[in-house]
Amino acid sequence: MKQLALIIDLNVCVGCHACVTSCKEWNTSGWAGPLSDFNPYNVNPTGTFFNRVQTFEIGTFPNTETVHFPKSCLHCEDPPCVPVCPTGASYKREEDGIVLVDYDKCIGCKYCSWACPYGARELDEQQKVMKKCTLCVDRIYDQTLPESERKPACVLACPTNARLFGDVHDSDSEVSKLIRENGGYQLMPEWGTNPANHYLPRRKTRLKIHEDELRRSDNPLKKEGLLPEPPKEQQTLDDIYMSW
Amino acid sequence: MKKTISYRIIEGKHPVFYWTLGISTFLILLGLYAAYNMEHYGHIITGMTNQIVWGMPHVFAIFLIVAASGVLNVASISSVFRKSFYHPLARLSALLAITMLVGGLMVLVLDLGRPDRLIIAMTHYNFKSIFSWNIILYNGFILLCALYIWFMMERRMHGSKPTVGLVAFLWRLILTTGTGSIFGFLVAREAYNTAILPPLFIALSLVLGLAVFLLLLMFFSHALGERILQRPKILLGVLIGAVFYFVLAYHLTHLYITGRHGVEYFILADGGIYTILFWGGYIFLGTILPLLLLYHERFSHSRVSIGSACLLSILGGFSLLYVIIIGGQAYPLDIFPGMEVISSSFFDAASKHPYTPSGWEFMLGMGGIGVSVILTLIAMKILPFLPANLTDSDIDPELLD
Repeated sequence: MKQLALIIDLNVCVGCHACVTSCKEWNTSGWAGPLSDFNPYNVNPTGTFFNRVQTFEIGTFPNTETVHFPKSCLHCEDPPCVPVCPTGASYKREEDGIVLVDYDKCIGCKYCSWACPYGARELDEQQKVMKKCTLCVDRIYDQTLPESERKPACVLACPTNARLFGDVHDSDSEVSKLIRENGGYQLMPEWGTNPANHYLPRRKTRLKIHEDELRRSDNPLKKEGLLPEPPKEQQTLDDIYMSW
Repeated sequence: MKKTISYRIIEGKHPVFYWTLGISTFLILLGLYAAYNMEHYGHIITGMTNQIVWGMPHVFAIFLIVAASGVLNVASISSVFRKSFYHPLARLSALLAITMLVGGLMVLVLDLGRPDRLIIAMTHYNFKSIFSWNIILYNGFILLCALYIWFMMERRMHGSKPTVGLVAFLWRLILTTGTGSIFGFLVAREAYNTAILPPLFIALSLVLGLAVFLLLLMFFSHALGERILQRPKILLGVLIGAVFYFVLAYHLTHLYITGRHGVEYFILADGGIYTILFWGGYIFLGTILPLLLLYHERFSHSRVSIGSACLLSILGGFSLLYVIIIGGQAYPLDIFPGMEVISSSFFDAASKHPYTPSGWEFMLGMGGIGVSVILTLIAMKILPFLPANLTDSDIDPELLD
């Protein structure tokens, strides 16, 4: 079975919120919209979002590091929000593993919101039904779009390419390779929900230079340092080339 | 020879009757106005957020639903456990079970995001969902109680009365188990995810139901015998103790699990209103004071103290439900264990989620109580639910088993 998912590389995410705004832009005017806003501007904007960024610090001062953690529905392979829904409005698609909400069946009881351990579900305050990331299901299969654009809006918007999209069940897919080779992990796997979305951890790139690598092997005088500067009046090679 | 119990309807000419009708109607109108506004403007006008998804209306609704299942206990004692002492009270008990459940369900339904889609909830069942099971259990309970009342009132049906009584008793146990399981099954939240919540809810239902019943009985029966109050009074004390036992076991279990120390510290010591409501509302006002009033030699014979104990245990139960339902949500999800979220576009970079119930939520909740009261009054006016006399001399010594 296919399982579409997002892979988020925390190593390159800079917390710019481009994924948040592009998601909102696409989805508010698309199949899943409108995503109601009540106080869209100023310090604490409120409204419905499918994707948000949380920021936390690791380490103790002064050895701290800031991690930006974009989070949306993780499209769990065993989603806890689905069995709790009284009307069956929450469901997981067989064909591609996307977890969706049937807005016409949702009665707005918000019980799924209690059940999700990741806090990914939101009630649209105006439409009064539960909403969540659809993996842009209305654009990834849209034949009218060029092949390269059949990806979730957040993936297309990410300036640092921190978001990737693909089938995590296909071991040859780009996302599967990334998970395999870069230690991709699931958020809170201990819940047993088996989230499809994966995160690539922060990776430190350190260059280790040995002392002997700094010595020139072809140094005839066995002396390191700058060569003696020639006197100003002496002709240099540059002067010769320029005179040609 | 067994004495025949006679029942009466309330006359409905007393000013208090009209005042109660008027106040209940006013409360219902307030509730409907709140529901209209919540539908028109959206849930944004309430204090509920994406973190505190169930607010004050749910506390009212669950209070009424839990009390409704508990109030049937009086009838169950008479028919299931064959204590004829409680026979005269069985009709009123079954009536209250229906009216309080209807009031609670009204609040629950009107607080749904889409109450207009109730028909979907009634026609599309996901049997894996405990919420879905509860819909069936609530409807079935109303039907069973109605049948029970019919069998009690209709002489020809008296033979089958114990059977219906037994089914209703079992049904109510399952129903309260279902209501408790709504929270007990919540794996994702630290305050829940425990099998002790259903029995806790059953014990709480018995306290709330009995307290409401006794208050109503004292209100309507002018000539109420001492002995008829004495037994339920002792029972109320025992039940308050039972709830305390479950609450104690619940918190001790959590305190034993290291991973849950955070939520326990929050509820018991650092939760602000939740801590105050737990210690002040539930432990002191809802447990210690009523037990004193019911058992201390100095107060235990006064009718005022029994009434006060009933009122206090209702207040304590309500506080406990508030702490369980809202306190558990106010404690944030631990998504990054050991990390402190310093900023978040989820508005959850806080040690607790803020919640202040709005006036609309109170209005909706009070509307539910209004519905329960008005339905009870109308039913008592139309059909004979109240025993004509409840003095000790009216209760035959044979009835006093």
